[in-house]
Amino acid sequence: MAGKRLAEARALLPDLTLRERAVEREQAALKRLACWAGSFTSEVCCLPPSMLLLEVAASLRLFGGAAKLFADVIAGCAEQGHLPQAALAPTPLAAQWLAIGGDDRACCALDELPQRLGSLPLSVLALSSADDARLASFGARSLADLLRLPRGGLARRLGPGLAADLARALGELPDPRSRFVFPERFAERLELPMRVEQASALGFAARRLINALCGWLAARGGGVSECIFEFEHERGARQRPATVLALGFAGATRDGERMSRVLGERLYRLPLPAAVEFIGLRAEAPAALAGRSRSLFGERGEGAGGESMAALVERLQARLGNDSVHALSTVAEHRPENAWLRVVAAPLTGEKSPASLLPAPVLRNSAAGPRPLCLLVQPQALRELAGRPQCGGPLRLLAGPERIESGWWDAAEPDALGDVCRDYFVAISRRDEWLWIFRSQAGWFLHGVFA
Amino acid sequence: MSSSTTLAQILERPDVWRGDALAGAALPGVPTGFADLDRELPGGGWPRGGLTELLPLRRGVGELSLLLPALARLSRDELAWLVCIAPPHLLYAPALQAGGVDLSRLLVASAPGRDAAWACERSLAADGVGAIVVWLPEVQAASLRRLQLAAEASQALLFVFRPAACASQPSPAPLRLTLEGEGEQLIVHLLKRRGSAQSLPLPIAVQRPLRLRHALACPASAVSAARSLSRSAIA
Repeated sequence: MAGKRLAEARALLPDLTLRERAVEREQAALKRLACWAGSFTSEVCCLPPSMLLLEVAASLRLFGGAAKLFADVIAGCAEQGHLPQAALAPTPLAAQWLAIGGDDRACCALDELPQRLGSLPLSVLALSSADDARLASFGARSLADLLRLPRGGLARRLGPGLAADLARALGELPDPRSRFVFPERFAERLELPMRVEQASALGFAARRLINALCGWLAARGGGVSECIFEFEHERGARQRPATVLALGFAGATRDGERMSRVLGERLYRLPLPAAVEFIGLRAEAPAALAGRSRSLFGERGEGAGGESMAALVERLQARLGNDSVHALSTVAEHRPENAWLRVVAAPLTGEKSPASLLPAPVLRNSAAGPRPLCLLVQPQALRELAGRPQCGGPLRLLAGPERIESGWWDAAEPDALGDVCRDYFVAISRRDEWLWIFRSQAGWFLHGVFA
Repeated sequence: MSSSTTLAQILERPDVWRGDALAGAALPGVPTGFADLDRELPGGGWPRGGLTELLPLRRGVGELSLLLPALARLSRDELAWLVCIAPPHLLYAPALQAGGVDLSRLLVASAPGRDAAWACERSLAADGVGAIVVWLPEVQAASLRRLQLAAEASQALLFVFRPAACASQPSPAPLRLTLEGEGEQLIVHLLKRRGSAQSLPLPIAVQRPLRLRHALACPASAVSAARSLSRSAIA
């Protein structure tokens, strides 16, 4: 219908639907695509309204050659929801013209260019109608005819612009382009094609934003350890505030798969108060990403294939809650409850884990008595009968007492254990259970199990 | 002739064994730290890539102490990760460290109900996990079967603690042990293993807090002494 007036178009196609062109949304989409393209190269040039140039000469080897890279870019674009008209050429202008002309065979050598460009129609140059008419009067029908004309004469008749463009397209003149500046902070919004009521269905659309984020991170050479999703609800009588979902990672990452996995686990349990229309993704300043070293032999450990420990911790945390997954560490303390600590499980950061950073707290067995493998969360009161503690029958005390009397300094603090004065014994029950019990002013208590 | 060679070939498979001998294992097991037990287990130790079901009769009979040498070995020598899922009590870090476990390679996850089996399956899929110890008091047979399949696909040790009442129920686990305390010893009954049945109970000398013969001769006096000490200290 291009070039027809509205009335004509309607006459030809009665069920034509008209849409207002939303230029700013097109621009937002182009910017998002530019961010995404950062995963292929950091030299991206954005040509509004609808063109994106990627300088890929330096990326060819990393991505496995021109053909593979080209296919990857097109497939990635399709995943982002765009159907690109793409071309690959040694100069930016030639690539532009080939793309407009719809020639999507990769062209990698400069000396192929005149022949490839020659087959394009003159319309790819988007000249003014006056220039078009003059070229037609020269008898030029295609770019090949134009390239045959002497360059000097062309410049005199049509102005120096066209002649210079031809020279740039053929690589005879340098053609510097302004780089797309990757934003300082990542904040993108995506409108969903239809309202989504189920949180689990958001993962697919969110994947596009995650890919854009990964491209941005790759161009910035960093990773994020947190990003924030915002699900904006449909406008209506009761406008609800957006649902915010903060995704935390065990370490800085720019692995899209990993982010999607964590998001999937979280979405699975996310209640949505209303249908979602927009998804937003924000990420703050990226942190430097440590290089990965791979082991020469496929030994166990990070990077040996399969899901890494870092990813495991994230997945467990996403489903079970951050506090439910932890590591353990010891503390140099006499009170048994305080002699250990939950620490953040951080297998991935590449740094030393907190457990090994804490001052090595060695309560040697010779100094302290035996300690049980399992400790009760709360000491459990035991009955006393005929001077002996009972736990399914009288307990036989095997060793002790070990006096633990400590902690006056935090007696006034609200959640602290406070001052304790206990005599600990190792006891064995009639049923051959090995127990760790203590006696305090309040009586006998079971505190641990020698499991 | 040809039929005998094929039979020999079949008998070499790790999942086929003679009724009067122990099965071979595709991967050598992880030594348990107890020679008596190693001799009775196919593969000469805790099986890698298989579910081991432990059914302690009561708590505190030494059920974790039985695993401790193998866990310590995995975390220290093989630099593998240990994952403990849904322990019924707090795992006490100083005792684990004293037992030789490298705490920086230990992960504890508290997972209620069915999440425990899920966490277990995820951990089996992760790379670098050496052993998983999970407490599943109410697990369904179907979940156990899933875990067994997941374990076969990995090289990790998988220990599942279940109540002793489950001993009479069928289970997909290739190795099942009931654990019972008897004084200083831990008595292990091999309920099921790949190979000939072992009906005799196996006494294992696990690490105990002290030797029974060094125990207090006269507990009553110790108690009264303790009481007087407490009183004077508290007074």
